[in-house]
Amino acid sequence: MSALLELHGLEVEIEGLPILRGVDLEVRPGEILGVVGETGAGKSMTARSILDLLPAKASLSFDTCTFAGEDFIPARARQLARGHRIGFVPQRPRGSLNPVFRVGKQIVDTLRRLRGMARREAKEEALNLLRSVRITDPERVYRSYPHELSGGMCQRVCIAIALAGEPELIIADEPTTGLDVTIQAEILKLLGEVIAEHNAAGMLITHDLGVVADVCDRVAVMYAGRVINLGTTLEIYREALHPYANQLVSIASSLDSGGTPREIPGRVPNPGDELAACAFAPRCFRAEDDCFGEEPPLIHIEGQMAFCHHPLTSEAASV
Amino acid sequence: MTGPSDTLVLRDLTKIFRIKTGSFRHADLRAVDDVSVSITPGRTLAVVGESGSGKTTLARLILRLIDPTGGSIRLEGTDITRMKGAALEDMRGRMQIVFQDPYDSLSPWQTVGRTVAEPLILHENMSMQDATEPVARMLERVGLSPEHARRYPHELSGGQAQRVGIARAMITNPALVVLDEPTSSLDMSVQSQILLLLQSLQEERNISYLFISHDLTVVRYIAHDLAVMYLGKVVESGPAAEVFASPRHPYTEALLKAAPRPDPHYKTDHVHLLGEQPSALDRAPGCPLYGRCPIAEDVCADTPQELVEIEAGHRVACWKRT
Repeated sequence: MSALLELHGLEVEIEGLPILRGVDLEVRPGEILGVVGETGAGKSMTARSILDLLPAKASLSFDTCTFAGEDFIPARARQLARGHRIGFVPQRPRGSLNPVFRVGKQIVDTLRRLRGMARREAKEEALNLLRSVRITDPERVYRSYPHELSGGMCQRVCIAIALAGEPELIIADEPTTGLDVTIQAEILKLLGEVIAEHNAAGMLITHDLGVVADVCDRVAVMYAGRVINLGTTLEIYREALHPYANQLVSIASSLDSGGTPREIPGRVPNPGDELAACAFAPRCFRAEDDCFGEEPPLIHIEGQMAFCHHPLTSEAASV
Repeated sequence: MTGPSDTLVLRDLTKIFRIKTGSFRHADLRAVDDVSVSITPGRTLAVVGESGSGKTTLARLILRLIDPTGGSIRLEGTDITRMKGAALEDMRGRMQIVFQDPYDSLSPWQTVGRTVAEPLILHENMSMQDATEPVARMLERVGLSPEHARRYPHELSGGQAQRVGIARAMITNPALVVLDEPTSSLDMSVQSQILLLLQSLQEERNISYLFISHDLTVVRYIAHDLAVMYLGKVVESGPAAEVFASPRHPYTEALLKAAPRPDPHYKTDHVHLLGEQPSALDRAPGCPLYGRCPIAEDVCADTPQELVEIEAGHRVACWKRT
């Protein structure tokens, strides 16, 4: 299957500190790809690179990057794709809406800019969008200011805005952090449904392995600025190749089942820390000398891809 | 279900905040409403609920950081509800707290050693000199090294800062430690390290924990007992395993079904509650869930629901489920 978005060797530096150290990933049509990792792994930076939302001091480079089969330059996404072909759902919905304008105006402005609609037509469409995110009284929400709406409702509005440009890809960055559990479940379900209804694909950035298991078809696990393991959610949760991904899942599962989690010693490296050839090697229970000295090879096994010298499988065959 | 040996016994604990709603008008917000729970030594009671449920107000009441409007608090058999002055200060060494944000809860101007020594200096009249030795031992116990005593909070990682917070809470050997979302700002791999540390400290010292959290995965792991709060009321309580396995209150049910689990074969379900949590000010006089509850009947609107025991220790405040 040809990928909708394909990234190879994405690197980002901010003031000389490497933030992304060669990210490879692809989002396939119709799927939701989860991007997980701990603080500083580069999840949000990856999304921001694609959306051209990097801080001014950042410098970006990559080997190849295609979107829907065409070459795509992340640093020029502003003109080409952001909002239009790629929709964005932010982490802090209330903070992302303009507090001094009514919600309706904000959706109408987006529609007029992205789809060149006339004012009246845009209002009709804005109400439709509010209905499509399951808002039962779109007229009232249309006239509301963001502070008059609950956090869950603001996030629905942000999803409506993300849909305004009829995007092919929707990137959501921790869309439910800070929302209550019952609201989180509704928003995640809604996100999955609208992505399917609009024949789009999704990229969901989160640190919550429960959220990934609930809504994602495939998962990319990031560590210290790289995707170190990528595969279907079922595969990654059953038997992730990379020891880090494997242990992360097993910690979450054992907490969930009341078992004692196996500790990962040490902590996540900060940008600028000196790294071994495999950044996870100092914390890895399978690490040997080659992990410290040689770049880990890219291996493909049964649909999973991982960078690792000693993956968790007996028939590891490098490609 | 309370005995004389319980570490903490709350009876009908209530906190009402008077909220100004106009120039001459005000409304009463029942942040914590008739809460009765207890914790025995060496056990963990998890209090779960969404924002606005009163979890944090409950913790502040227990620690006597704010004064209750009604009800009583007994710590190790002593009534501390109205305790004041020196007596209360002495009691504070017996009850400690670990906060959610490890950095915010440490003074940026104090060394780690000074921070950890402070409870000893305040509650046990120790000098900084005398405290050096126990502080070093405590730091080692929480997985830091005695050298960390000279460091400042900004030199620590989030996990290390939380270990300092734990060392500070444990150094007076308290009977009760309130853990207010102690792992929710930490990364997954660090989260499990902190949970294991808390668990081993509890086993070693027979401490009672009041664990406040909205993360049901963590609660499932660490809690012995569970109290579910909604708009200031405990709507269900009991042994954690039992409540997780067979929730009876419609709110508990909805909460558990909505919580995602790290298992791709498990799917969450949300279609249980109507709308969103109202403000505690707009609460119906009867069941707090009235208006959102899928099984509510007219009588629920103005008939207050009391907790009723349905199985050993498992209590639920819903007449339709008892």
